Amino acid sequence: MANELGFVDPTAGGGKEIILPAPRPTSLSGKVVGLIDNTKEQADIILQTIGEALCERYGVEGVIVRRKEHYSKPAAEELIDDMAKQVDIAVAGLGG
Amino acid sequence: MNERVDEFEFFLEKPWSDGFPVVTPTEERISRMLAQTERDYEEVIGLIPPAMEIATVRTVAVHALMAGCRPEYLPVVLGATELMLREEFNVNGVQGTMHGVAPMMIVNGPYAAEIGVHGGNGCLGPGFRANATIGRAIRLILMNLGAGIPGISSMTIFGMPSRYTYCLTENMEDHPWDSLAVSKGYRPDENVITMAMVESPRFCFDDVSDEPDRLLLGIADTMAAMGSWNMHARSDMVVAMGPQHAGICAGAGLRHRDVHRRLCEIAGLRVGDLKTGGNWRRERALALPIKVDPDDDDCFVPAIKDPEDLQLIVAGGWGPCTAVCHGWSGGSRAVHGTYQV
Amino acid sequence: MCSVYDTVAFEKKGIPSTTIITTAFKKAAEFQFRSKGMVGHPYVQLPHPVSNLQPTEMRELTLHFVDEVASHLKV
Repeated sequence: MANELGFVDPTAGGGKEIILPAPRPTSLSGKVVGLIDNTKEQADIILQTIGEALCERYGVEGVIVRRKEHYSKPAAEELIDDMAKQVDIAVAGLGG
Repeated sequence: MNERVDEFEFFLEKPWSDGFPVVTPTEERISRMLAQTERDYEEVIGLIPPAMEIATVRTVAVHALMAGCRPEYLPVVLGATELMLREEFNVNGVQGTMHGVAPMMIVNGPYAAEIGVHGGNGCLGPGFRANATIGRAIRLILMNLGAGIPGISSMTIFGMPSRYTYCLTENMEDHPWDSLAVSKGYRPDENVITMAMVESPRFCFDDVSDEPDRLLLGIADTMAAMGSWNMHARSDMVVAMGPQHAGICAGAGLRHRDVHRRLCEIAGLRVGDLKTGGNWRRERALALPIKVDPDDDDCFVPAIKDPEDLQLIVAGGWGPCTAVCHGWSGGSRAVHGTYQV
Repeated sequence: MCSVYDTVAFEKKGIPSTTIITTAFKKAAEFQFRSKGMVGHPYVQLPHPVSNLQPTEMRELTLHFVDEVASHLKV
């Protein structure tokens, strides 16, 4: 807003809500992992590999994969809501 | 002005500056800009991604002012801001993309003419205040409120000159057909903006053809390229026929929709040619929303996958040229709508 | 870059989440986490580009990053 500058500074970047990260479990054993594939090339292979390796190395028990509509759009709220009911941890890819 | 601060340097040093000086936003100038609208100044237009800062009528007015808009341009800037936030336009994706596409605004209807949006000789600039500043207002909003800034959230490899500003109207004086808006079903007296996420134009010069078949073949050739995302994804395209070229088609009895259909049919490349360079990938061809056989070298891949994706307009001055603006990699659909004056 | 938004959406629902990006998008990802109120949220960077890798190469490369993924999802 106007101050001693004599003009308005409309530069954006004001205070934002801070989101605290979810509490982490001590182990991934027995967990279900959700993988959100944003359809970017290689995302499917990357996520599949991660899912399989988490099972093998960390005892993750279930893998749920969902594909978004397009890589540059956020997942529909319903998709996240739906996955959130079924998974304990989640990996999203691929940004790039 | 405050003697301690050079107002021009102040804004030129902002990370969201487009590199040019802005009109200093004083409360007096802002009030004059806002006098042009009856809308509530605190009305929320939307959140500009990816930073998601809030665009209100007032903040849009401030950006329009900084861009150099006259107060009477404000309704167009407000309309365009609202329009570009439609989900299918996917501004969020474009703000971060490696590509350099920009929201091209085609403003139709009587108000555009009234405020001096230019559609003839030199319409893509530079030189026409309404075109230059309306488009620039949108860019400043995207950079400041959205933080679509190279080095911060934008990965654009080159950017593009059309990212400074990209706004025009059609050349209705020499237009042999109805406007783009009318072709979409609007009335001629309605004020409409169409926005498409496209590159700066490449030109098809043709001072040889005097009948549509040869002319449209040349234009179609400009619509297809190995390195164009139009060949590898569903993507919008703007074809701005100069009035001389449009006149050749109209003179032969072709209507707007005939030219539109013909370009959709013939613009494209054979799989055999597409494969030899550029962005060809088998998986991309198979992911197209049309049937393409990647093993059939003679299979024709059209540049336009859905007729809705080709925005065919008539603009520019007299001369043997058509401008073709290629699109993005499929994550944006052109939008259009009326705006409140 | 909306994989970041997806991760934030999960975190808001109490589900530990991380994002896989390529190195070219590091700044964009950090900006997006910051603008969504999760400054400094951990993500995993694969070397850019990956689009030219064959499936077996892609899998092999990814396997090197699995432990890092896991470290972001548990204590």
